[in-house]
Amino acid sequence: MPNVAMELNNVHKKIGKHEIIKGVDFSVHSGEVFGLIGPNGAGKTTTIRMMVGLLSITEGQVKILGKSIQSEYRDAISEVGAIIENPEMYPFMSGYKNLKHYARMHPGVTDERIQEVIQLVGLEKRINEKVKRYSLGMRQRLGIAQALLHKPSVLILDEPTNGLDPAGISEIRQYIRRLAEDENIAVIISSHLLSEIELMCDRVGIIQHGKMVNFESIGKSDDQDEDVIKLQLDVTPKDKAQEILKDQLQIDSSIQKGFLSCQIEKDHVPSIVKVLVEHEVDVYQVVSMKGTLEDKFFELTGENVIE
Amino acid sequence: MSSFIKQIYNEHIKIYVRKPTWVMYFILLALVIGIAAVTQTTDLTNNHENWEQALEEENQQSQEVIQNLREADFNNELSIQMNEQAIERNNYRLENEIPPNEYGAWSFVEDNVFLLSLVSLFTIIVAAGIIANEFKWGTIKLLLIRPLTRTKILITKYISVLLFALWTLVFVWVTSLIVGMAFFGFEGFTATTVVNRPDGVQEVTLFSEVMKTYGFRLINLVMMATFAFMISAVFRQSSLAIGLAIFLMFTGNTIVEFFADRDWAKYILFANTDLQQFSTGNIMFEGMTLGFSITMLMVYFVLFLTLAWTFFTKRDVAGE
Repeated sequence: MPNVAMELNNVHKKIGKHEIIKGVDFSVHSGEVFGLIGPNGAGKTTTIRMMVGLLSITEGQVKILGKSIQSEYRDAISEVGAIIENPEMYPFMSGYKNLKHYARMHPGVTDERIQEVIQLVGLEKRINEKVKRYSLGMRQRLGIAQALLHKPSVLILDEPTNGLDPAGISEIRQYIRRLAEDENIAVIISSHLLSEIELMCDRVGIIQHGKMVNFESIGKSDDQDEDVIKLQLDVTPKDKAQEILKDQLQIDSSIQKGFLSCQIEKDHVPSIVKVLVEHEVDVYQVVSMKGTLEDKFFELTGENVIE
Repeated sequence: MSSFIKQIYNEHIKIYVRKPTWVMYFILLALVIGIAAVTQTTDLTNNHENWEQALEEENQQSQEVIQNLREADFNNELSIQMNEQAIERNNYRLENEIPPNEYGAWSFVEDNVFLLSLVSLFTIIVAAGIIANEFKWGTIKLLLIRPLTRTKILITKYISVLLFALWTLVFVWVTSLIVGMAFFGFEGFTATTVVNRPDGVQEVTLFSEVMKTYGFRLINLVMMATFAFMISAVFRQSSLAIGLAIFLMFTGNTIVEFFADRDWAKYILFANTDLQQFSTGNIMFEGMTLGFSITMLMVYFVLFLTLAWTFFTKRDVAGE
């Protein structure tokens, strides 16, 4: 059993009479990348702020390596590195001075460690420039550097790829994976970029209306769903092909965006192709569509109505 | 303890790395030099050969002023008292044959005590920003997720404000002394002057008198800084804190005068911030003692800090 790094137990948050978070439970293990997704206003940021002690917790518990953020604040927070919303730094100081500033707030962060994290995020060349001249991507990197200074066991990143270019995104993604796998850090990521979460995370929690609606394991889910797949066919003529499938194989299909689409069992693919070829339908492309996290997400959350 | 000092150091860096702070010190330096240059062009000689005669004339003028004030129908007790004290000082000089002081570095430092109003203003600006700015910049989130409790962060910020006030006061004192030496010469540490005390006129060293004047002003400085700091912590807005604190700084004495005929006027903060009144004997309200004023200052002080602490440590740091 891997070590539980972060644990939320029936967490509630009430502001006035309004209950924003209505009982969130999840736990994240060391070495795991966990994604927290949900529509805007679902309670992602509120949950994250409670996890790091910025918001008080109305009911329930948050534990970091078994230590409660409420009653053992200092021990618990020592194990956490985080970026909350935007990576805001002191704009009038250089990147290096910002890191020094935060390093002074943790015991035992050496100058060598500061150099190490600067190299990790690739900011060596611009580290002595003032932060106000940084692009959003550079601020994001500096934010990650700041979160890693004290070698935390839990890393919380709110929208970590926000403002990064595609090369930067891919770099950060690989870097996050490496942190989890090599350094055994538990990484918690919140994002609205579902494809991004899908590429980075081992497990995803979907939050809606202040409640955890589902957990998804990424990677495993593909195997389970392989019996029924969504097939897209690029064929001419399409009407004829549609009729043939109906008559010969009793498969209902529809024409969408210039493709013929149908839901079938995977075993049927060869026979479909065979039948179409036999009836002199030209087949250009046969694509099996994977069920994406996005599909799952919309299936679960439906329309985004903020309560 | 070490994390405490490191955090005070952090706060100092955040104050002194910013250009507005440099501008404050530059303004003070420019004013000290400017005032010295202007003062030098005026006649500073005290007419030493006939100083006795000059003091007699001064006394006569003061007598006339007192006469006029007595005839006026509004309350002038304080002005009358000040003129009487001037006469007492002059008489003491005449009796003991102490000629008036030459204008020198100490006199210049003593005159520059009015610059401490500007130091108050700068301290208010720093105190008002030290918490509110962290919210404005969004850095409060990264500041509060460290293994330092909110109480500790609040205390280090408050101490940094007090140290800023102290450093700036010392800056005015030292630059005034150095510039004063360059322009007017130095009287030395043993030079004396004549001052009023509740139990009569006394001769004291200039150095101790200057230290006393600056020391007493420090109390006012601390109270205004604490007030601005409290507003900053409670409302998380620097403009409100600066506005309110400056308003109170300039209207403080007016407020006291306005309510002067009420019984509770002596409980107003600004009736108690000038502790020098007990040293010179010009006490604002009857029945006020040094002990009373110190108690009142402590009450306000504790009230401000309790409010700041309650709001800073208990409230949620929510999104924008």
